[in-house]
Amino acid sequence: MTFTRSLSALLAAAAASTLLAGSAFAADPIKIGVPVGLSGANSVVAPSVVQSAELAVAEINAKGGVLGRPLALEIADDASGAAGAQKAFDSLVFQKKVDVLISMETSAARNAALPIVTRGKVPYIYTSFYEGKSCSPFMYVNAWVPEQQVPPIVDYFAKEKMAKTFFLIGSDYAFGRGMLAFTKAYIEKTGGKVVGEEYLPMDGTDWTPIISKLKSAAPGALITSTAGGAPNVTLTKQLRASGVTLPYGNLAVDEGTAKGMGTDAEGIFLSASYVTGIDSAANKTFLGAMQKKFGADLKTPNDLSVPEYEAVYAYKAAVEKAGKTEASAVLKALADVAVDGPRGKIAMSQQHHAALTMYLGQVQADGGVKVIQSFPNVSAGQQCPNLKP
Amino acid sequence: MITLALDIITTAAILFIVAAGLLIVFGVMKIVNFAHASFITVGAYAALVTSRFGLPPAWAPFAAFLAGGLIGAATERLVVRRLYRRPLDAILATWGLGIVIGQLVTLAFGREVQFVPAPISGTLAAFGVDYSLYRLLLVPTALVIAGLFAGLLNGTRLGLSTRAVIMNENLAQGLGIDSARVRLITFGTGCGLAAVAGALITPLASVDPNMGLAWLIGAFMLVMVSGGSLLTLGLSCFVLGGLQVLASTFISPILGGLTIAVLAAVALRLRPQGFARA
Repeated sequence: MTFTRSLSALLAAAAASTLLAGSAFAADPIKIGVPVGLSGANSVVAPSVVQSAELAVAEINAKGGVLGRPLALEIADDASGAAGAQKAFDSLVFQKKVDVLISMETSAARNAALPIVTRGKVPYIYTSFYEGKSCSPFMYVNAWVPEQQVPPIVDYFAKEKMAKTFFLIGSDYAFGRGMLAFTKAYIEKTGGKVVGEEYLPMDGTDWTPIISKLKSAAPGALITSTAGGAPNVTLTKQLRASGVTLPYGNLAVDEGTAKGMGTDAEGIFLSASYVTGIDSAANKTFLGAMQKKFGADLKTPNDLSVPEYEAVYAYKAAVEKAGKTEASAVLKALADVAVDGPRGKIAMSQQHHAALTMYLGQVQADGGVKVIQSFPNVSAGQQCPNLKP
Repeated sequence: MITLALDIITTAAILFIVAAGLLIVFGVMKIVNFAHASFITVGAYAALVTSRFGLPPAWAPFAAFLAGGLIGAATERLVVRRLYRRPLDAILATWGLGIVIGQLVTLAFGREVQFVPAPISGTLAAFGVDYSLYRLLLVPTALVIAGLFAGLLNGTRLGLSTRAVIMNENLAQGLGIDSARVRLITFGTGCGLAAVAGALITPLASVDPNMGLAWLIGAFMLVMVSGGSLLTLGLSCFVLGGLQVLASTFISPILGGLTIAVLAAVALRLRPQGFARA
């Protein structure tokens, strides 16, 4: 008798617990659309972005989700291009009916996809650094713009390396030219002088004439903004082979590429809102959790993947503040919430952009990046003065 | 001024090294090997593997020649040999072959940019300027490659058979020359040479699955203009490469990037036989 009773009690408890667990997630999931370049040029970085999103969603769901609803990821490949992005955004917004879009994109893909976001009236958190001044009431940005990335390098070269003249080299495309146009204006505003500005087409492989001009101009420092990957590596190798030892700031290099360049990358200065070496408890917890979840398959977290992780939390905070997933309420709340993440406390409160702590790093002989100086809460400046918050 | 002269000479040397393999295939077989770019890539990855095994960097070009030559010979047997009478289809087939090889490289090594340490770094103080030592070394390297092939073509039995096939294949066959074997060896050698080029440019370029592609159009144009001999290829590399450097230096590197393709097209319009004697 006692046996039966205890058994039934056990069964009841078990039933109750499944019921409880069930009730927590009985509601429909909140869908997060992640359009990224799983194929094409961005495929080098896209897997790390997806891993970031997966960790954030798993952590949030383990703690009961958002407003009692679980989060679910909808990943779509955009083939790293504008046409692919239009397809990916279209299917996420109108077929999968996602509640929010959170991802990095190339500038061309973002511009192509924004009309779809506007038509679908879906909040979009853009997590890639970019050339700035892209404004939409539906889009928030939690990554850096030139106003935040360029000054640390230029200021450091001017103050610590006594550089008065600068030479600029870039790849001939929107991001390369946009970054260097800003850099030039900033150098001239702060009293420096640009003694040369040269571009090579994206598929160009021989930088020799440009390097010869650089050497004859004999500037105090060099700043480059090439396309990521091959052009960056080619330029750096040829600079090193020609014996260029100037202070060398690279606006397009990240930790992964720096490792790939081996000894040639040593000494390069870079500026980023995230490097793995950030010495904070939040960053160490994040890196530990990534390591635990993905083990040997872990893609090194970077300046494009960490904003994805933080943006999922920013969305969670905005939905909780709004009390619902309805787009206009969430969009309003996104400007007000702040999230503590691996990059520190971040709020997208400056005209849909965020003030960020920027790190000036220098590549070491082992390929790691050492933080030389940090610049807390660098303002995004005037990005979208016509947007309300 | 001296820097400019060195820029021109070294650029011509690099272009010659890259285009030589394509020229040999085109000269003998009258087909354009659009998989040339992929064989450049194969050579670069051969250099990567050599350095991963800790072998001296000087071995890289030989390892590359072996890898490129074997893969080239295999593809000649499997694909190219069926298409000798259909040169346009051969362009498509070799282009497709290039994509296949590129994807296989991606599968084996991943899409990311790889690093091969440079065998020599630093500069040489020559004629009063500091110049990249490795670029300077590519000039004698190009001359050695040219010398080896001139010697092979003019001083050996195989070279004799090859020249016979170039001049009149039917007649050569009638004389008992195994033209299929000549073609196999030529295609393999051309691909091997492309791979050598890949290994030689790794210290100056990034190693990634698409790295060869940037060189393909330039090499193709140079071979078309040269009209098919090593000497005229050297000449066209010097003239067009030199103009590219001049345009890049005095006008803009963006225009410089167009120089070879545009001038080669113009040259072929005005003089269809290119630099070759009529």
